[in-house]
Amino acid sequence: MPDQLQVRLVTPERILIDTTADAVELPSRSGYLEVLFGHTPLLAELGAGEVRLHGAHAGEQRYNVNWGFVEVLPERVTILAESALKPEEIDTGRAQEQLDRGHKMWNEAGDDAEKYEEANRVIAEAESKLASAASHS
Amino acid sequence: MANVLDLRRRIRSIKNTRQITKAMKMVAAAKLRRAQERALSSRPYAAMMTSVLQSLKRRIEIFDPETGEVRHPLLLTRPEKNVLLVVVSGEGGFAGAFNANIIKAATNFIGDHNDRQIDVEAIGRKGRDILRRRYPAAKYLEAQRSEHDEERAPRGERQERVAPVEMMDDRYRSMLLKLSFDQVSELGAEIVSLYTREQIDAAYIVYNEFKSVIQQRVVVERILPIVEIGAQDVAHAEEMSREDRERAVEAAESAGISPDSADFAEAAKQADEEAKRFGTADVDYLYEPNPKELFNAILPRYVTTKLYHAMLESSAAEFAARMTAMDSATNNASDLIDHYTLLMNRVRQAAITKELIEIVSGAAAL
Repeated sequence: MPDQLQVRLVTPERILIDTTADAVELPSRSGYLEVLFGHTPLLAELGAGEVRLHGAHAGEQRYNVNWGFVEVLPERVTILAESALKPEEIDTGRAQEQLDRGHKMWNEAGDDAEKYEEANRVIAEAESKLASAASHS
Repeated sequence: MANVLDLRRRIRSIKNTRQITKAMKMVAAAKLRRAQERALSSRPYAAMMTSVLQSLKRRIEIFDPETGEVRHPLLLTRPEKNVLLVVVSGEGGFAGAFNANIIKAATNFIGDHNDRQIDVEAIGRKGRDILRRRYPAAKYLEAQRSEHDEERAPRGERQERVAPVEMMDDRYRSMLLKLSFDQVSELGAEIVSLYTREQIDAAYIVYNEFKSVIQQRVVVERILPIVEIGAQDVAHAEEMSREDRERAVEAAESAGISPDSADFAEAAKQADEEAKRFGTADVDYLYEPNPKELFNAILPRYVTTKLYHAMLESSAAEFAARMTAMDSATNNASDLIDHYTLLMNRVRQAAITKELIEIVSGAAAL
């Protein structure tokens, strides 16, 4: 196949994937974006969500990430994520707990904007984990 | 003079000890190999993060053009009054001078900076146990415990100091046993928040740097404030002595690990070079969000990455030290066995000779 993207997903522990794909979906902070071959160079921060690889060598691949950033070049995508899990690796029990904790933080945050943000982050992370786990099973 | 039976017992006991030290050496060697691999595979992330920060830094104004002040609180240098010292030691003993060297470096640091108030955050059981005997524990207000994670309740607010040097509580105990990035990032976030709230004016880390079996040193590195991204801000370093190095080479060779690990260094270099290109391509990137926000989001993580890397290297160094120490112990045991075998043979021969003389002189008397 011509014109495939070189995709790498790097975590602090190791290089998780190093492959080629037709398209990559990324959970940027302001919403999902899809990257195809020849994309304009881009540096973006990632929020909580799923990285999806389409048309990769090993079929479609999905990883749940919670924070990271990505460098997009016309022929190469490098994702740096603090943690990346396959949907089947997600512990739904713990994610649910995290969601509850997030809601509790949200309720207790009061007028503190920082705490709200932190609570929202926790909720978003837990929700994205639960969503990926649910779509898997 | 000891009799043959005693000596035989002694030899058997030393043989048993040798068996144990040998096994420990092989275990340490296997763990060292794994730790080296982990340290290697964590490099791309750290290197990429560094290079993207460096390239971002060029695009944003670090200094406010009007007031000339630094924009990001982590880049801001203040006179050091309160200092946090992270001491990374080992979780276990039997590692030669490994833990002692770390403690020594930490105490020297504390001694040299006696005009400052120092908080000691000890990572690793050995260092914590020793330092806790010397310095009083810091007091906290009772932390709010959430029912979700009872074990890891956050620290409460700090109470009045009682001494210039205080130990933090052991919230991060046994972190090194199963080193995970999540836990390190918790610690990193705490340090960053202490710094931005101006409760500390600098953060240092004492750890054993590990480049390869023969390239190790104990370093005191400043992690906050960040003066230059990508550069190591070493306050003090202690190279390993030549004898130590020779012993380490010997141990590594007998355990089947290449001491210089040329392939290791080569792979690391390659990974670094590749990572350097990350985020620095000669094009105009679109930034999402803008460069400044991106920079501010990444910078605190940079501290965590540094901590994580330091801990990985330290645990590799611990295994290397244990391997070397156990190799020496095995050699010493072998020497002792040889010595006692010789002695035992001599004693046995002496006994035989004595008996012969008795028989001969008995016969001559008849």
